[in-house]
Amino acid sequence: MRNMMKEWLEGNITIKVRGKRFERLVNMAVREGIHIWNIRRIGTELSECQILIGDYFRLRPLLRETGCRTHVVSRDGLPFWFRRIKARSGFVIGALLFFLGLYMLSSLVWSVEIQGTYHISPTKVGQAAEKIGIKVGAWKAKLEEPQQLQRELLRLLPEASYVGVRLQGTKAIIQVVEKEEPMPKPAVGPRNLVAKKRAVISKVMAEAGKSMVKVNQFVEKGQVLISGVIGNEERQGLVAAKGTVQGEVWYESQVTVPLRQSRYQLTGQQQENHYLLLGSWAVRIWPVNASQYAKAETSEERHQLGLGAAFTLPVGWKTVTLREMEQKNKQLTVEEAVEIGKQSARLDILKRASGDAQIKDEKVLHTKTENGKVYLSIHYTVIEDIAEEQPIVALPPLPDSSENKTE
Amino acid sequence: MKRWSRRLRQLAVGVLDLPQDVVLEVPRITMIGHLQMYIENHRGVLHFSEKELRLLLTNGQLIVSGEQLVIRAILPEEVLLEGRIHNVKFVEKP
Repeated sequence: MRNMMKEWLEGNITIKVRGKRFERLVNMAVREGIHIWNIRRIGTELSECQILIGDYFRLRPLLRETGCRTHVVSRDGLPFWFRRIKARSGFVIGALLFFLGLYMLSSLVWSVEIQGTYHISPTKVGQAAEKIGIKVGAWKAKLEEPQQLQRELLRLLPEASYVGVRLQGTKAIIQVVEKEEPMPKPAVGPRNLVAKKRAVISKVMAEAGKSMVKVNQFVEKGQVLISGVIGNEERQGLVAAKGTVQGEVWYESQVTVPLRQSRYQLTGQQQENHYLLLGSWAVRIWPVNASQYAKAETSEERHQLGLGAAFTLPVGWKTVTLREMEQKNKQLTVEEAVEIGKQSARLDILKRASGDAQIKDEKVLHTKTENGKVYLSIHYTVIEDIAEEQPIVALPPLPDSSENKTE
Repeated sequence: MKRWSRRLRQLAVGVLDLPQDVVLEVPRITMIGHLQMYIENHRGVLHFSEKELRLLLTNGQLIVSGEQLVIRAILPEEVLLEGRIHNVKFVEKP
């Protein structure tokens, strides 16, 4: 029945009506189609009601007829709001400026994030992005379409196979996918492969160059295995020789193994000691009576109070864990000692030979037990890569012949 | 003539099953507890104070008495009354 929205939008006033024939005024007003509500009687000749502003002037002839007088008590609604706002324009301007500022700040790019770079430096991507306008403080509206930006960035970054540009709020995210380029091969000059050890050739595989040796041939150190000089007498060329040459190399190893072995073993007994750290002091708090181990392995853990590594308080906590150890002695038989000797000799040989060496044959030449020790001398036949690169130094061309021509 | 018209109206109510307030020009009153009262088909306000509302009807008067009465809204034929209603009384035209 009542339209509160309309009452508020058009503006309404509360009036006090003084007069004897108030009921007649109400009846006439209602018949005239004047909106009138919240009618209440205050005194014998005094009443209060609310009407729309527009109806106030239509009410005047009726007032004259009934002999009533009105007095406006309060005003409410949108038109009065506007008037109040006009009086406080500074407040409104401030609010508008705030929203304008917020909008403007949110339409700038405030950070540029670069993702997915491994080999390309992010700085380089950042510089390329700056060139096409993506930088901190740029207007988002002035930037071109992401598709176009991506195309231009890709043109500026040939190392990338894909560049994605995305604006997320005030953050520009540049997603780079790098091209998987093979590592460039180091340039090699003409060279020979020569033997680095005395050996018997067991396998020759020349990928580039001319192989100069055969299988089962004995080579001295420094002998050319694969030559970088190819061609016949008339037409010769130089290449970087490449290939694998494996050869049998002989080694002899001398090992000494004591028959009486002693080592330390953990007994399983352990104890945790807690310390309070004060400056350079450490005070043991727990346990009160620490048991003493003759031989122990200790591990320490420190907790220092403070903020990160930059600022630490001189107060902290330390936990020391002691694990008891005891010495165990063991008497070896000669066979066991020989076995241990062989193991350590193998490790030693593989260290002396180059990378992918293989032990082909092992022969104990001599065993001697003396002063509680076993002396071993073992002979090994090892198959290993014996090729070594040696650059071919080209002779400089004769100086006089070219000079004569230019003159 | 008036008798005839009244009889016709009575007949319409009986036969055609029309609501009485439409045909007989009597008020339709809706009350929500003693707090609110909605009166349709009145013919004007005769008296209004905090304690009493007197409405003119086609055929008499309606007197509503109570406390703190307020007319929340009023239209030519409708009144919405609020307050604490104690009494509703019909006075037939003599």
